[in-house]
Amino acid sequence: MLEVERLEVRYGAATALWDVSIRIAAGELVCVVGPNGAGKTTLIDAIAGLNRISAGRLAMDGRDLNHLPGHLFCDQGIAIVPEGRRLFVAMSVLENLELGSFRPAARVARQASLERVLEIFPALKTRLAAPAGTLSGGQQQMVAIARALMAKPRLLLLDEPSLGLAPSIVLEMFRVIREINESGVAVLLVEQNVAMALEIAGRAYVLEEGRIISEGSPADLMNQPHIRRAYLGESG
Amino acid sequence: MNFPSWTLLGQSLLSGIFIGSLYGLLGLGLSLSWGMLRQINLAHFALAFLGAYLTFQLTSVVGMDPLMTLALILPCFFAFGVLMQWLFSRFAISPFNSLLVTFGITVIIESLIQWLWTADYRRMDSVYADMKFKVGTLYVPIPELFTLLIAILLSLSTWALLRYTDLGRALRASAEDGQIAAAFGVNEKKLALLLSGFSAAFAGVAGLCLALSYTLSPSQIYAWIGVVFAAVMIGGLGNPIGPLVAGIVIGVAEAITMALISPAWAPLVSFSLLIIVLLTRADKI
Ligand SMILES: Nc1ncnc2c1ncn2[C@@H]1O[C@H](COP(=O)(O)OP(=O)(O)O)[C@@H](O)[C@H]1O
Ligand SMILES: [Mg+2]
Repeated sequence: MLEVERLEVRYGAATALWDVSIRIAAGELVCVVGPNGAGKTTLIDAIAGLNRISAGRLAMDGRDLNHLPGHLFCDQGIAIVPEGRRLFVAMSVLENLELGSFRPAARVARQASLERVLEIFPALKTRLAAPAGTLSGGQQQMVAIARALMAKPRLLLLDEPSLGLAPSIVLEMFRVIREINESGVAVLLVEQNVAMALEIAGRAYVLEEGRIISEGSPADLMNQPHIRRAYLGESG
Repeated sequence: MNFPSWTLLGQSLLSGIFIGSLYGLLGLGLSLSWGMLRQINLAHFALAFLGAYLTFQLTSVVGMDPLMTLALILPCFFAFGVLMQWLFSRFAISPFNSLLVTFGITVIIESLIQWLWTADYRRMDSVYADMKFKVGTLYVPIPELFTLLIAILLSLSTWALLRYTDLGRALRASAEDGQIAAAFGVNEKKLALLLSGFSAAFAGVAGLCLALSYTLSPSQIYAWIGVVFAAVMIGGLGNPIGPLVAGIVIGVAEAITMALISPAWAPLVSFSLLIIVLLTRADKI
């Protein structure tokens, strides 16, 4: 479904991604792990149309996205849960969700989508009128995921959804991500919580210093000594 | 201080509300482009005066009804606002530079007005000019009442649009985080053009109100800037109701000061209020 071929992204003179190729099939749950500053956010933002790419190719179902204006990426079925959530904090929770279904295709299904996300996150039911910025970190992350689901994506991009959350909420988030994936939505998950991410992923990539250094099933990756040392806390 | 009669005080209060509503009307477009487009649009004032002179011309010379002139002025001004925003985005003008550029536009429009209509004072004759009615002992002038009603109508409809429509939510979302709004399909550039068009059209409406109640001269453009900026900043940037409320508060405070103390003290009022607000709510501005 999604094809990223030899992608290169630069910030001014600094190159953040070199020659990155990944692909995601419909319904897959793919994980990208890597240390801080590896370029994970850069990659996910590029796929969502937030960053311009300087070389390589992005395609969805064979359709080239390279020259598509940023605001039309969501019409291709791509929705993002950005790093740090980036809610519209002055707007109410409900308004954030409604904005998620801004495009006409999602707008017609708004009511049904709303019921569905409130089923997934019942805790939001009583907070719909509250300004999004007043919610707890965990609830804000729920709003960020719910907002993306309101767009009725076929590919959901999640950038470190567990960042800064209490362990019990992290577990809940991973459960929900798996559930969303099982309902047929392909997921690209970026995580520093490598052990948990590999547990739910069908396939994974390792990104270091802007390059994909490894790719495979979670079991394959977990057998590589480098991965065990660098990401799974195994000593020497 | 000698205490004026109740009638005089009531009349002052009323004129304070009326002039305050014009502050609010002038501030509406300014607040929207500042809060949502991060542009400090000084040209808004010059545009309003251009609108006032055009209304004057179409009414006094061509013989149109002042209200009908809007049918010509609004579309032209809307187009002007769209064009201005297009150029701003084409040349990626920063918020600070927007101040300089729009000051330049102000000077150009002022010269244009001076060239076309000279620096003499102009007063529009219209059927509405001297219309008024009496409530108790107070006179209510129709043109000023019209200004108040228009200011309320435009502020409330802008508020409702921002609050209750998808377009309004998209505008507020892109003011908060343009990149993420775009990721959900909001075409920021298009919205900015629309907003700038509306802001300029609001200047056209304010121009009509200026022409209905005030004597026009090109240098008057600058007389309104300080107090309207005070109303905008007190009212909150991007807030469509704020400038009107703050404008009326300032207008009334000025009028009461004039009646109770001396007309010379009036300008102090708005700026004292502005300084107090800046000191107490610096974080919000
Ligand atoms: N807006 C930016 N401007 C300049 N450099 C950036 C910007 N965002 C990220 N970078 C740089 O790009 C590299 C990758 O960053 P990022 O994609 O955020 O990594 P990760 O999400 O894996 O932590 C880092 O070296 C970072 O400093
Ligand atoms: Mg990151």
